[in-house]
Amino acid sequence: MDHDAALEQLELAALEPGGIDRLIAGDTPTAQAAAGHLAGCPACTDELVRLQRASRLIAAAIREAPPPDLRDRTLARVRALGRPRGTSVNAEGPATVASLAGLRSGEARPVVFAPARWPSGRRVVVGWIAAIAAAVLLCIGTTSFLIGGRVDERLAQQTETIRTLEEVTTATLRVTAQQDARHVVLTGTSNPDLDGTLVFSPSSTELVVVTTGLTAPPAGQEYRCWVEDGGQRQPVGKMFFSDDLAYWIGPAPAISNLSSTARFGVSLVDASGAAVDAAPVLGGSL
Amino acid sequence: MTERQAGSSDDARLVREMASGSEAALGLLYDRYGDAIFAAAYRLTSDRGVAEEVVQETFLTLWNRAELFDPQAGSLSAWLHTIGRNRAVDRLRAAGRRPQLVALSSSAAPAESETQALERAATAGTVMAGAAPMPGPEEAAAASDLREAIRVAIAAMPEVERTVILLAYQEELSQTEIADRLAWPLGTVKTRTRRALLRLRGALGDELGPSPELDAVPVPTGRDQ
Repeated sequence: MDHDAALEQLELAALEPGGIDRLIAGDTPTAQAAAGHLAGCPACTDELVRLQRASRLIAAAIREAPPPDLRDRTLARVRALGRPRGTSVNAEGPATVASLAGLRSGEARPVVFAPARWPSGRRVVVGWIAAIAAAVLLCIGTTSFLIGGRVDERLAQQTETIRTLEEVTTATLRVTAQQDARHVVLTGTSNPDLDGTLVFSPSSTELVVVTTGLTAPPAGQEYRCWVEDGGQRQPVGKMFFSDDLAYWIGPAPAISNLSSTARFGVSLVDASGAAVDAAPVLGGSL
Repeated sequence: MTERQAGSSDDARLVREMASGSEAALGLLYDRYGDAIFAAAYRLTSDRGVAEEVVQETFLTLWNRAELFDPQAGSLSAWLHTIGRNRAVDRLRAAGRRPQLVALSSSAAPAESETQALERAATAGTVMAGAAPMPGPEEAAAASDLREAIRVAIAAMPEVERTVILLAYQEELSQTEIADRLAWPLGTVKTRTRRALLRLRGALGDELGPSPELDAVPVPTGRDQ
């Protein structure tokens, strides 16, 4: 077999699953001839090495590239399953689910679609979930008594509240399903009516914090949750409100490797800045 | 303002526009991060179908939870990768599988330095392979450039060649299986396969292209066989 024939065999083998290995093994008369040529030809052996590397790179690039229609399918899925957004959510006119929930302009609360799993039997997390359940039940009760408007508005309000509860519950179950889930009790630093609970998983870096007793912040301010470790305070996220319930759910990279002295808190801060150094209204430790 | 800071600021603006209902902003964010999320999910799961679902769920989450993104707390890239990684791990766990070991070099998102990739992986709990030598930032960038060059070359090649190369690498079909699937003569498949490979190697530069010591075998370029 000459260079050209060997090279042709190499190129064809490079595109077959396990083709190069079979060629070198010499399983067929053609492969045997190619292997024999390779054994005595440094140039073709060098080409084999280059071809193998190139083939690996090409394979990786192709397999890691999404299909061209994934973009359209993703946008279509968001359109079909995503929460309603747009000017109607923020407009004054017709009441929408989001606006009836008392949400500020452009800050409609998020929705979680991820499925929840129950935690493994080894972990006792029912108490944590119960604490959050108590908070959200209080939220339902408050909602029922506070709303005195039209029936449809009340229904919309309750629908929104239920969605919030579903979201909080789903996220809590998802976090507590993690083997390394941790729980922190939050208490009011000066107001005994404030309390809350926080669960997080260092491995998934997902965190759920739920508080009751907070009222919506004054204009220009917002409540932010934070974590402080080693004397350094880092923001986690802005608290969202649904009636009496204030909460935050999402990934928080800062919780991935906390020491045993880490503290969590919620502070009222200037909404236009990034600082979270104000005194906490709620706090708790690991 | 550095280029990275400018990018973060632009991301934050797009997220705000998306939160106001702009699908165009969502599309731009997909264009910016969709490929990287897919690649990361594929590396973790070795399953293109799962990686596609992870991408869809990640952008659905971005749409639904845009208000939770805080640019002061981290980059959008890191946020999306964390969401994507969690979704991928959820699916692997549901299927009773473990995540693949991921080499740091292949974990870096576009425009993300090795250090940033390491920090993101550490915070996300990604399991990193330790056996392969870690390339430096320049090598990682070069690898990223090569992947991009390959994708460009594939996009530019004739449809018949792209078809055989995708069936070979994505579906891992043999040339005989490709011939059966497409009802093409085996010789045609081989010709188109070699031609496609030659084009792709040309995109890889001198180091991985055809050996200069060997005269390239002339691949028929006339009418397809």
